[in-house]
Amino acid sequence: MDFFIQLFTDPVGFYNQHELLIAQIGINAILAISIFVTFYSGQLTLANAGFMAIGAYTTVIMSLYLPTPLPVDMLVGALLAAAIGFLVGLPVLRLRGVFLAIATIGFVEALRLGVILNVPITGEGQGLKNPSADPLGGILPILISVPILTYLVWRLTHTRLGQAWAAIREDELAASSNGINVPAYKMVAFVISALVAGYAGALETHINFFVDPTEYSVTRTIQILTFAVVGGTTNVIGPIVGAVFLTALPEIVRQFAAYRDVVNGIILILVITLTSSDRLAVCTPSMTCPWKSRKAPSSA
Amino acid sequence: MTQQVLNAIFIGSIYALFAVGYTLVFGVLDVLNLAHSAVFMLGAVVTYSLVALHGMPFLPAAVIAILVCGLLGLLIEFVALRPLRRRNAPPISALISTIGLALIFVAIVEQATSGSLFSWLWQDGANSVRFPTGTVPNPTYHVGGLTIEGTKLGILIISVVLMLVLGYVMRFTQVGRALRAVAENRRAATLLGINVDRIFASTLFVSSALGGLAGLLFGLALSDISPYIGRDQVELKGLAVIVLGGMGSIPGAVLGGYLLGLIEVFAFVRFGSNVEAGVAFAALFLVLVLRPQGLFGARLRERL
Amino acid sequence: MHAVDDVSLEIEEGTIFGLIGPNGAGKTTLVNLVTGYIRPQSGSIQLQSSPPLAGEGSFRAVELARRPPHAVAGLGVARTFQTLRLYRNLTAIENVLAGMHLRRRDDTLQQLIPVPTFLKEDRRRLQQARELLERVGLPPERFGERRAATLSYGDQRRLEVARALALNPHLLILDEPAAGMNPAEKDRVRALIQQLNQDGLTVLLIDHDMRLVMGVCRHIAVLNFGRKIADGPPATVSQDPAVITAYLGTQAQKTAAHVPGSEEMDVATTSTPASIEPASPLLEVRDLQVSYGAIQAVRGVSFGVAKGEIVALIGANGAGKSTILNSLSGVLRPHSGGARFGDLDLTTAPPDRIVSQGLVQVPEGREILARLTVRENLELGAWARRNGRTAHRDIDGLMKQFPILGQRRDLPAGQLSGGEQQILAIARGLLAQPKLLLLDEPSLGLAPQMVDTVFDVIKKIHNDGVTILLVEQNALRALEIADRAYVVETGRILLSGTGAALRRNPEVQKAYLGG
Repeated sequence: MDFFIQLFTDPVGFYNQHELLIAQIGINAILAISIFVTFYSGQLTLANAGFMAIGAYTTVIMSLYLPTPLPVDMLVGALLAAAIGFLVGLPVLRLRGVFLAIATIGFVEALRLGVILNVPITGEGQGLKNPSADPLGGILPILISVPILTYLVWRLTHTRLGQAWAAIREDELAASSNGINVPAYKMVAFVISALVAGYAGALETHINFFVDPTEYSVTRTIQILTFAVVGGTTNVIGPIVGAVFLTALPEIVRQFAAYRDVVNGIILILVITLTSSDRLAVCTPSMTCPWKSRKAPSSA
Repeated sequence: MTQQVLNAIFIGSIYALFAVGYTLVFGVLDVLNLAHSAVFMLGAVVTYSLVALHGMPFLPAAVIAILVCGLLGLLIEFVALRPLRRRNAPPISALISTIGLALIFVAIVEQATSGSLFSWLWQDGANSVRFPTGTVPNPTYHVGGLTIEGTKLGILIISVVLMLVLGYVMRFTQVGRALRAVAENRRAATLLGINVDRIFASTLFVSSALGGLAGLLFGLALSDISPYIGRDQVELKGLAVIVLGGMGSIPGAVLGGYLLGLIEVFAFVRFGSNVEAGVAFAALFLVLVLRPQGLFGARLRERL
Repeated sequence: MHAVDDVSLEIEEGTIFGLIGPNGAGKTTLVNLVTGYIRPQSGSIQLQSSPPLAGEGSFRAVELARRPPHAVAGLGVARTFQTLRLYRNLTAIENVLAGMHLRRRDDTLQQLIPVPTFLKEDRRRLQQARELLERVGLPPERFGERRAATLSYGDQRRLEVARALALNPHLLILDEPAAGMNPAEKDRVRALIQQLNQDGLTVLLIDHDMRLVMGVCRHIAVLNFGRKIADGPPATVSQDPAVITAYLGTQAQKTAAHVPGSEEMDVATTSTPASIEPASPLLEVRDLQVSYGAIQAVRGVSFGVAKGEIVALIGANGAGKSTILNSLSGVLRPHSGGARFGDLDLTTAPPDRIVSQGLVQVPEGREILARLTVRENLELGAWARRNGRTAHRDIDGLMKQFPILGQRRDLPAGQLSGGEQQILAIARGLLAQPKLLLLDEPSLGLAPQMVDTVFDVIKKIHNDGVTILLVEQNALRALEIADRAYVVETGRILLSGTGAALRRNPEVQKAYLGG
C-alpha cells in the first residue's frame, strides 16, 4: 500500500526510488505493443524475444566497434530486427495457429543457442559488456518512446491498414473476398512487430551494463505473451495495461514476489478460461492446421 | 563413435518417451499441452522426494510418482482444457492455459525450501540434486570395448517395452480404436456412443504418466533433478521431436526421438557442445517451414 | 472426385442468373472456383467487363481462373458466403469499411498524423459506408455501431451484402442469401436483389429456395453431380423432367417414372396428423425447438415413431431435418420442447447413454472413420454394447451379409466408394443393436444404382425388426418404403400422412420446387 501512497504524495521520491522498475515497465510496455501488432492481425507469433536479441546485440556491438552515435546504433538494431523479421516471415507466415507459434519459438531458440552462443563477436555464453550503458540516462528515451509508439500503433489500428488487419484476424477467407492481400498484410504486421521488439531490445541495453543471452529465451516471450493475454488485445491499451500491472505486481504485493510465477500462472488460467475469447484477437476459430489451411469455404 | 551412438539411442529413448505423451494429447485432443514438461519435472521431483526425504525404496516411489503424474494429467484436463472445450474456445487458447499451469508447477518447486509451504515435496529451491548413491544398483558392462551402464540399459528396455505396449493398445484394442476414432472425428465418435470426455481424461492420464516416467528416468540416468529440467532439457526438444515425426503421430514421435538423439550426438562430435544445443531448434524450424506434416509423411499419421 | 465436371455457363451483363441444384451438386464449389478459393484442374473463367478503374466502354476479357481471391475481388467480383462470414467482433460500419478496402487510396501514413485535412477523407469514407448500410436496409443510426455478431440473422445476411457491395462490384455472387430465413425475411431478400439489379448490378444467385430463385431470376442453370443438367428461363426449367428428378429423386427402376401431382389429385390424401399418430410411440417428440445462435432451425416440431415402423422426414435442404435428428442423438440441445425414447429424456441424456439405450444415428455424409480399417469401424460400432463377446460373431455375420465389407475388411475405410461407405455406416450402426435407427440422408451423393442398393439394405434391416426414422431429400424413394412420413419446411411440419398418400399429394412437389 505504501507503494501507492508514495506514488501520489511524493511522486519525485517515488521516481527516484523506483527508477529501474519504471524503466522496466516502459520496456515491457513497448514489448506489449510489439506483440499486440501481431495479435491484432490474428497471428500468435512468439518470436519477440529473438528480435529483441537482434536489436540489443546490434546496438552493443556497434557501440563497441564503430564510432557511430548511440541513437544510430539503436536505429540500426531495430531496422536489422525488422529486416530479419521479413526474411523469417517469408516461410513462417504460411503456417498458422499452433504451428506458427512453435515455428517462432524454434526461431528464438535457434537464434540464441545456435547463433548467439556460437559467434565470437557476441561474447558467446558470457554475453557482452555494454560500453554505453547509462542506467539513469536510459530511462528518458524509454519514457518518451512509450507514449509515441502507443499513439502511432493506436492510430494505425484505425487506418486502412489496421482495418485490413482486423478483417484478417476475424476471417481470412472473407478478407480475401474483400480484396485484401492477406499474406502481404500479415507480413507487414510481423515486420512492424519485429521492428518494435528490436527497438525495445536496443533501449534495454541502454539501462543494463551487460547483454546476457539468457535474457532472450522463450521464457521472455512467454512473459510478453502474458501481458497480451491478461490485458486483452482488442486495442493497444490492453497489453500495455497488462505489462504495467504484471511488472509492478511483485512490487505492490511484496509477500507474493517469490511466488510471482504462481500468480502469473493463475491469472493466465483464470483469464483464458473465464473471459470471452473475443477479447483475445488470436483466439478466433479460423485457426487450423497448416495443411488443412487450403480448405475453401464449406460447401453444401 | 559406437559409444556415441549408444548414448544417442539412450537419450533418444527418453526424448521418445516424453514426446509420445506430448503427441498423444495433440493427436487426440488437438491441443498442445505445454504443461507436459512440468509434469516430466515433477515425475523426477516426486520420486526424489519420496526416496530422499521420506526414505522410501526406489521402486514403490517410482510407481507412486507415475500415478501422481497421471493425476496431474487429470488436473490439466479439468482445470486447463475442459472449461475451454465447454466454451468452444479454439485450440490455441489451450496452449495459453497450459502455459499457465506449467508456470505454477515450476514456481512451486522452485520456491520450495526447507521450512517453506512445500518443504515436504522439495527443499532445494532452484538447485540441482541427484539421487543418493546406491538408490538403484548400477552395474557396468564391458562389451567389446564399449561401456554400458546398467541404468541406461534398463531405461532403454523400459522405454522400448512401453512404447511397444502403447503401440499394441492403440492398434489392437477397443480402447485404442476409440482413441483413434476420437482423434479423427469427434462427432462420429460421439454418435457411436463413445464418451469423448472420458477418452480425453484417460488420454491426459496416460500421457502424463508417461511424461512423469520419462522425467524420473532422466533424473536417475543424468543425475540432474531440478525445477528446470522439464523447461530447459525437454520441453522444446520434445516439440522438435513431435514436429520431426509429424504432430499427432506416435510412431513418428518414437522415430523422431531417436533421430534427434542421433542428430545431437553427431552435432556434438562434429561441432562441439554449443552447436549441439541449437541443432534441435534449427531442425524444428526447418521441418515446420519445409515439411509441416513431418519427415515421415502422412502415412504414419494414419496410425495416430 | 470431380465436384464440378465440365460445366459451361454464360452470365449476361445486367441479368439475375440463378444457379440451383440439390445438395452436393457442386454449386458452392463452382462459386469457389470463380472467386479463386479453389484452382480448377482445367477450364477457363472469363470476365467480360471493364475493370473498375478503366473508363466506360473499354471492355475486355479477363481470365479469372488461377488468380488468388483478392485479385479476383480486385477485378470487380464480389461474393457472399453460404455460411455467414462476417467480421463478427467488428461493428457494422467497420465491416463495410473493410469491404471498401480496394476503393480506398492507401493513405495509412498520412492517417498517422492528426491533421484535419487528412481526416476529411476518412469522414467521406464513413459517409459512403453509411450509405451502403442504408441501401441494404440497415439504417446506420440504429445498426452502424453494433457488433456484427449481435445483429439478427437476417440483418447479418444484409450486412454481408453491404460489405460485398462496398467493393463496387461488377458481378455480385450471392451464395444462399436466404438460407435459414423465414418467409417474411425471404421476401425482403428478394426485394433487395431486385433493387440491386435495377441499379445496374449483375447478380449470380445460388439458393435452395426454389420460390425465391424462380421468382427473381431471369435465367437459371441447374447442376447435379457437378454437371449442368438444364439451362433456360425459369418457366422452362421448372417443368424439365430432369430437374424434377434431381430434386425429388427417382423411384426404383422397376416402376414407371412418376411425378407427384402429375395425376388426378385425390382429395382425401392429406390426412390430419391426429388420425395417424401412433398411440404408444417408441419415440415421441413434442414441440421441439432448436437454434444455432441467431438462426432458429427447428420451430416447434411434434411427431412420433411406433415400434416396427419406417417413418420418413422429407423436405428440401435446409428445412431442419438433420437438426431434428441431431437433437435426438444428444449432439445438439433443443432450447425448448421434449423428446422421449422409452423412459429416456433425450433432451438431457448424454449421447453415449442414448446410444447404449438403443437409439443410434447413421449420420449425414456417412462420417465413417476414414483412417481406420473397415473392420475397425465395425468393431467400434459395437462400442456401446454391454456384452462385447457377441460382437465378433455379429461382425462376421454382417460381413457375410454385405460381401463388399468382407472383401475390404483390412482396407482403410476412406478408400471405399461413397455407396460402400454408406453400407459400412449402416452396418456400423446396426452393431450397436439399435431399437430405433436414425438414417440421415443415406442416398446423398450416390449414383442411382447405388441408391437402389442402399434402399434395399434399409428394407432388409427393417424386415429384420429394426424401427427406422429416415431423413431424405430423395422424397419419392423415401415415401415408397415409408409407412408414414412428415414433410418438413423451414423448421416446421407442413404435411403428414402415409407414404402412399403423400406420394400423390401435389403439395409435396410444391414444398420442393416452390411451384
